[in-house]
Amino acid sequence: MPIRNFYVEKCNGCGICVACCPMDVLRLDEKMKKAVVKYPKDCVACWGCESFCPRGCFDVSPERGRGELVSPY
Amino acid sequence: MNKIESLGTVITTDVLVLGAGGGGMCAALKAKENNADVLLIDKMGIGWNGQVPIGGGILAYVYPEYAEKWAENVTRQSFFFNNQDWTYQLGKYMHKSTLDLADMGLTFYRTKGELNILNWGPNIYVTLFDAPKSLVALKKTALKRGVKMMDKIYAIDLLKNGDKVVGAIGLGLVDGKTYLFNAKAVIIATGNCGYMHEKTYSSVLGEGAAMGYRASAQLVNAEFSSSYVWGIKVLGKELMGIHFYLYLENARGEKIMGKYYPELMTGKHSVYTFDPRVIDAMQKEVNAGLGPIYINLKGLSDAEIAGLAEDQVEGLTHLMANDTMKLLREKAGIDPTKERMEMWPRYLYSGGGLRIDINGKTTLDGLYAAGGASSNSWSGGGGGQGGLGVQSAAVTGFVAGENAAKYTGQAKRFEIDFNQAKNAIERVMAPMQHEGNVDAAEVAYRIHEAVVPMKYNRQREAGRMKEALAIVKDAKEKLSRVGAKDFHDLARYHSAESMTIAAEFTYKAALMREESRAGHFREDFPQRDDKNWFKWITIEQKDGTPRLSTLPVPVEKYRLQLK
Repeated sequence: MPIRNFYVEKCNGCGICVACCPMDVLRLDEKMKKAVVKYPKDCVACWGCESFCPRGCFDVSPERGRGELVSPY
Repeated sequence: MNKIESLGTVITTDVLVLGAGGGGMCAALKAKENNADVLLIDKMGIGWNGQVPIGGGILAYVYPEYAEKWAENVTRQSFFFNNQDWTYQLGKYMHKSTLDLADMGLTFYRTKGELNILNWGPNIYVTLFDAPKSLVALKKTALKRGVKMMDKIYAIDLLKNGDKVVGAIGLGLVDGKTYLFNAKAVIIATGNCGYMHEKTYSSVLGEGAAMGYRASAQLVNAEFSSSYVWGIKVLGKELMGIHFYLYLENARGEKIMGKYYPELMTGKHSVYTFDPRVIDAMQKEVNAGLGPIYINLKGLSDAEIAGLAEDQVEGLTHLMANDTMKLLREKAGIDPTKERMEMWPRYLYSGGGLRIDINGKTTLDGLYAAGGASSNSWSGGGGGQGGLGVQSAAVTGFVAGENAAKYTGQAKRFEIDFNQAKNAIERVMAPMQHEGNVDAAEVAYRIHEAVVPMKYNRQREAGRMKEALAIVKDAKEKLSRVGAKDFHDLARYHSAESMTIAAEFTYKAALMREESRAGHFREDFPQRDDKNWFKWITIEQKDGTPRLSTLPVPVEKYRLQLK
């Protein structure tokens, strides 16, 4: 899966990753006040969460969760 | 029970803005400034949504005294194919819009309180802003000024009463509620269609054009602005920087750019990631059996690599190149100073959108559009000018926001039509009624097979475009077998549907236009043909099917006349 590591212990529940995910992969667990990787397969590896997370909770690899890109040629 | 409330949660506002990216945020702020009650919704979380936070943070403009000249240049460069009224309006508005954005708290970089202004070309200036924090800052201002907001609401269809647009249907992705928004005016600002292909454009999937089309609004320019950038294959990411082209080589290790563009090999040139000459050279080499294409930075130091990104817009591409090199090392395990990397042209997004008039209004009463979801033909068929993406979103947003608010000041409220709403909701919810045996992602990737290959979308030709349309048809058939378990799935279904619509319209309009012009190149009609094709192609729904028509460019009404 593209989100190869999510360091939940570092998460402060700020919700930025949920807000910036274009694919609705991440959600906030209101009770735990932590982000949850709810739909991991739908990640397109845009690196939004990894770039914007203030706590460095994400490690995203380049592979997409549901297949790779079509050749332009 | 014939009560609207039985269909979902009803929320009432004057102006409903769909999509809170650059265009939608500006529309909401300006509508509020014009005393309307404004609700802004987005499928992501407002402040971090859309393309602006992950973009380059560039806002270009010309000063008002140069606006006429600028518009004249654009008009001549587009061979008079542009909507001159919009070109002049954009030219005149840009500087004011920059100041408005500064007043609204956009995160411009400043020195001693003053905006940093850089000269970017003859009479073109740019100001840079902190992109990741930009929408958060505007959001703060909008909230303070009383704009209401809802996050994680996926708008799918418009609500109509007779011919008027009276609101929209939204899926609450988190709370699982179905929303019926009743508004006096709706502004669609959901962006164009990036097909979740190029990463920067993953958030925009053609939803606005699709919902507008279903409501019988007119679309225009679908055949234009499909564009490619070049980037690093393994990352699926463009490579920002103006000198990297010098290091492109083929499988044999021969440098490629000098073969086709020797003039680029002497002196200093700025060749951006979207420069078509690079895509041309790459494609020619691959077609000659000399692919794949690599970038070879072996032996260069990190500082030298960052130097290749150098730009007049100091520091910006420099930073982006550093980021890209870091990603390569950390994510792909590639050391760019030690090994060469395969490069790919990458498809960006489709063009066109909802046709808007000089006030940002679409062809339907009560419906406005802004940003990438709209098309005002300001640049003719061209993709416009670097740095004007955010500016164009801001200006169309301000214009639509102001005029929608003025309209709501005079217009009476029309209630939601129960039967229309019921039918629309049934359509939206239909995938929840069956399990399905295809995933929505399969549809999206099938669409990639139609829109990404350059043989279909860059060197267009009738036979091959028909092949592409057959792929789109197959994708639609797959879509009919997609089911949804929850609203997340349902949203993916509707995204896939809007992508099939965008792809279909791109090729239908491209097939119709039997000439070459701007970014639209036909191998079978390689010349510009003003005699037959000095007109825009529009698409509108008639009896459930798309009908293509043409609209002559009304050049006789414009300032500059075609001689």
